[in-house]
Amino acid sequence: MGIAEQLNTYLTLSGALFAIGTFGFLARRNAISMLMSIELMLNAVNLAIVAFGAFIPNLKGDGAVIALLVIAVAAAEATVGLAIVIAIFRNRKTPLVDEYDAMRR
Amino acid sequence: MRAWLYLIAAAVAGAIVTTPALFVLILLGGTFNDALVAGLATLMLASAIAVVTMRDIIRCGLAMIVCFLALAGLYVSLGAVMVAATQVIVYIGAISVLILFAIMLTQDKVGSNRLVFQTQAAPAAIAAIIVAVLVSIAAAGTNWGAVSAAVRVATKDLANLLFGSYVLAFEAVSVLLLAAVIGGVFLAKREKDAG
Repeated sequence: MGIAEQLNTYLTLSGALFAIGTFGFLARRNAISMLMSIELMLNAVNLAIVAFGAFIPNLKGDGAVIALLVIAVAAAEATVGLAIVIAIFRNRKTPLVDEYDAMRR
Repeated sequence: MRAWLYLIAAAVAGAIVTTPALFVLILLGGTFNDALVAGLATLMLASAIAVVTMRDIIRCGLAMIVCFLALAGLYVSLGAVMVAATQVIVYIGAISVLILFAIMLTQDKVGSNRLVFQTQAAPAAIAAIIVAVLVSIAAAGTNWGAVSAAVRVATKDLANLLFGSYVLAFEAVSVLLLAAVIGGVFLAKREKDAG
């Protein structure tokens, strides 16, 4: 059986993409880079959902519907997150998250 | 001179993407679909790594578009054509453009010259590797029950599900999107009397 017909291929890919997103979220200094890493993590979860929907007969169709709903929620999250970043940038004049230290001074 | 450098870089990137596909196709005796999945997966992971490691944030955004495109190709190979179309329309058409606009609104000239990573980058890398290994072990070690070959979901069945048993979630998402639009406008609005 080839790699394209195995569920584990897509689950491992999804885990790798989620890990890359985790690294980006923890390590980047730029607030928008962190938001992009969150988008990568949401896409990783979506890949796992679509793979489950494609391979498990009981979930036929459900996986695709849930993936569509996740995409819509991700769009809402991106809107609010970017608006927050723009609002903070207007006050603090920097996009770097480690210079947002108003609450620990 | 610079054009040649870009050409060489593009050739190297193309070789990195196509090598696993050819490897799977010729050495492992896979089908064309296997080779396609291998190439798309390599493209997706390479561009995702570029998103989290590159210095110039505009290029990070463009690499993110490549990553989403490769992911849409993987959805097509999984038989979820409607999800792939939505991925292209919503992620590449809307979210990526939104992020590129936000990048252009918030970055200054000095920002890209300073340090890209925080001081906890090495522990973050270790944590990310642990997450990847744990997910792979859990996925390989779990018995998922009856697993069939990948089935293609017809758009008509998808619509019947979405507007049938999932109609409550659909309506909730529409309310959530409205709330997000209003909240985004309110947060990004310039205040008249700053105080």
